[in-house]
Amino acid sequence: MRYFNLPDLGEGLQEAEIIEWNVSVNDQVEVDQLLVTVETAKAVVEIPSPQAGAVVSLFGKPGDIIHVGQPLVEFAGDDGESTTVVGQLNTSATEAGEDVFIIGAATSDRGRRAVKATPAVRALAKTLEVNLNAVRGTGRDGLVTREDIERQAGIEEKLGPATPLRGVRRFMAKSMAESGASVVPVTLTDDARLASWKKGEDTTIRLINAIAAGCRAEPILNSWFDAATRSYRVRPNIDVSIAVNTPDGLFAPILRDVGNRNRADLRKGLNRLKKDVRARTIPPTEMIGATIGLSNVGTIAGRYANPVIVPPTVAILAAGRIRDEVCAVDKKPEILPVMPLSLTFDHRLITGGEAANFLAEVIANLETD
Amino acid sequence: MRGRHRFAIPFLQYLDTHGEVDVPLPAWTSDIERLQKLYEQMVLARTLDQKAVALQRTGQLGTYPSTLGQEAVGVAIGLAMQADDVLVPYYRDAIAQILRGMPPENILLFWGGEERGSDPGGASQDFPPCVPVATQLSHAAGVATAMKLRNESRVTLVTCGDGATSKGDFMESLNLAGVWQLPLVVVINNNQWAISVPLKQQTAAQSLAQKAIAAGIDGTQVDGNDVIAVYDAVKTALDKARKLRQPSLIEAVSYRLSDHTTADDASRYRDQKELNVHWAEEPIGRFQHFLHTRGYWDEAREKALQAHCRETVDAVVAAYLAAEAENPEAIIDYLYAFLPAALEEQREAIGRKAEVLNGQENPGA
Repeated sequence: MRYFNLPDLGEGLQEAEIIEWNVSVNDQVEVDQLLVTVETAKAVVEIPSPQAGAVVSLFGKPGDIIHVGQPLVEFAGDDGESTTVVGQLNTSATEAGEDVFIIGAATSDRGRRAVKATPAVRALAKTLEVNLNAVRGTGRDGLVTREDIERQAGIEEKLGPATPLRGVRRFMAKSMAESGASVVPVTLTDDARLASWKKGEDTTIRLINAIAAGCRAEPILNSWFDAATRSYRVRPNIDVSIAVNTPDGLFAPILRDVGNRNRADLRKGLNRLKKDVRARTIPPTEMIGATIGLSNVGTIAGRYANPVIVPPTVAILAAGRIRDEVCAVDKKPEILPVMPLSLTFDHRLITGGEAANFLAEVIANLETD
Repeated sequence: MRGRHRFAIPFLQYLDTHGEVDVPLPAWTSDIERLQKLYEQMVLARTLDQKAVALQRTGQLGTYPSTLGQEAVGVAIGLAMQADDVLVPYYRDAIAQILRGMPPENILLFWGGEERGSDPGGASQDFPPCVPVATQLSHAAGVATAMKLRNESRVTLVTCGDGATSKGDFMESLNLAGVWQLPLVVVINNNQWAISVPLKQQTAAQSLAQKAIAAGIDGTQVDGNDVIAVYDAVKTALDKARKLRQPSLIEAVSYRLSDHTTADDASRYRDQKELNVHWAEEPIGRFQHFLHTRGYWDEAREKALQAHCRETVDAVVAAYLAAEAENPEAIIDYLYAFLPAALEEQREAIGRKAEVLNGQENPGA
């Protein structure tokens, strides 16, 4: 044995945390000599050496989580599988890192552990090279059964492997599904005529100002709604989530307290958020706690939309692409820049009248200088 | 208040906690070879036990319940029983099973998940270890009933832990043994801990042996760290069951120096100071001191024994690791003399799954 992999130290445990190494690289160890002390979900366990030999490398530092089956110790030997094994270790670490970025959790493989399957089924999945995370469990409480694995293996044989959702896209799928399952959305559309806009007007900041104006007129659109208790809280500050598209998926960082900040300050804040999103250094806390949403879909293409509300918020405004259009002005045709607006509101809390008042105030604000 | 009946629970101890003797020893102790064998087997039990823990820690064995500190109980039972008696063990009786004729590698096979590990070898009438708590006591009462009905001069010996004495099966079996006067010896390995439950939370009774009184049978408490006392008590109880058809209960007061099993971490609920106290009273050191004092043991013998135990255990581990994996159908094969139809279907299904797992068959086909 060249690599000693972490065994299952309890009954169905998946991982262990390294507490202390009791040997060092280059040490000559005896069979059953204490190698390392680890802590599992159940116990602090001292792991002895399964063989005599020289220690070539130790995998992981105190505090690191090692998954069952991953290497713990490399012994001197002539079995040259070094790169493959180390490569697997690195891949796993990267995946965990991605999850941290999105859900703000500590480094762990909670996603992997969340799959419910008996050891025999896990073994079957391994043999058939079926990714357990890609299988929907049909057993009790979502337990993955043998039949699920076999069905999945059959599908993969016919259609090839599916691409699993990762990171931001995975989070998007989850939040959109949650919205779809609860919100009762109604979308109201209208246009703002931007006759008074000067060249180089900051569209996004103008939209944020307009939302603040709308919220002042109808504060209930700046609320958090709790469906379970049928209650809501009007939020004192207006914290706008702003959809930012990236190759990795949709981000929604939050521009805080937009009702009490000037345009220059808002632009500075927005630039910082966008930079952090593109560099993927934005902390998860910067994407939590929005009170209302803005989606500026018009930067690419599109006129009207039905933007999706993310609970507990109750409203989101989408702006389409600004275009020149023939408008009736004082009963005469005139060509004006026009911005199409779509306001989605959650009809469980917001009435059509409140939404219309809000939208009217948004338009009025956009149409002033 | 005056009662019609008064009871007392005798406590049997020959070696004190330091291995000193201040009472007359039973006659059989003049057999020095027997004394030496008791010692040698305790040392072998511990060597094998610690190796089994190491095998689990390195992924080469499943969950394993250590017998550390309780070697006197298993060795006394294994050496006191007769070949045609029936042992109905629980899960801390490895050395008793080995002394009854089980190939030692079967212990490892059992905890490695192999059905063959239940094969008792020499004493083929013995039962496999019972992992469910206390159910083996009812099985044993049944075996003893059969012996009585057949008018045999054999004895059934069943073991359990202190935790099992709180279960209905325990009292039901004792009651039956008393009412029907069964040739049954019940040995409690009272190691003071039922996983994380200490004895004082297990029972308000002053002893576990006194539970025999309610069933109308004899109850004796012995020092479970004194191998002479345990052997003597077990031998006496076996003789009484064999000759007089009288059941009895023995409470061997030992101490679990290990975790409950390898899936447990006793340091989370047990005070290290308490453990240190009991390490000073463990059975092997105590008995070695006695043998030394009597001139029955010396340095050379000890060295030879240590080497012998290491070699034996190495050979046992090699045999275990070399054993070819059993067919998964084996989990059903030993349940019935004649397999019910429903289980036949399951057995076939298991075989098919096994072929898939072994990659011999395409599951999509």
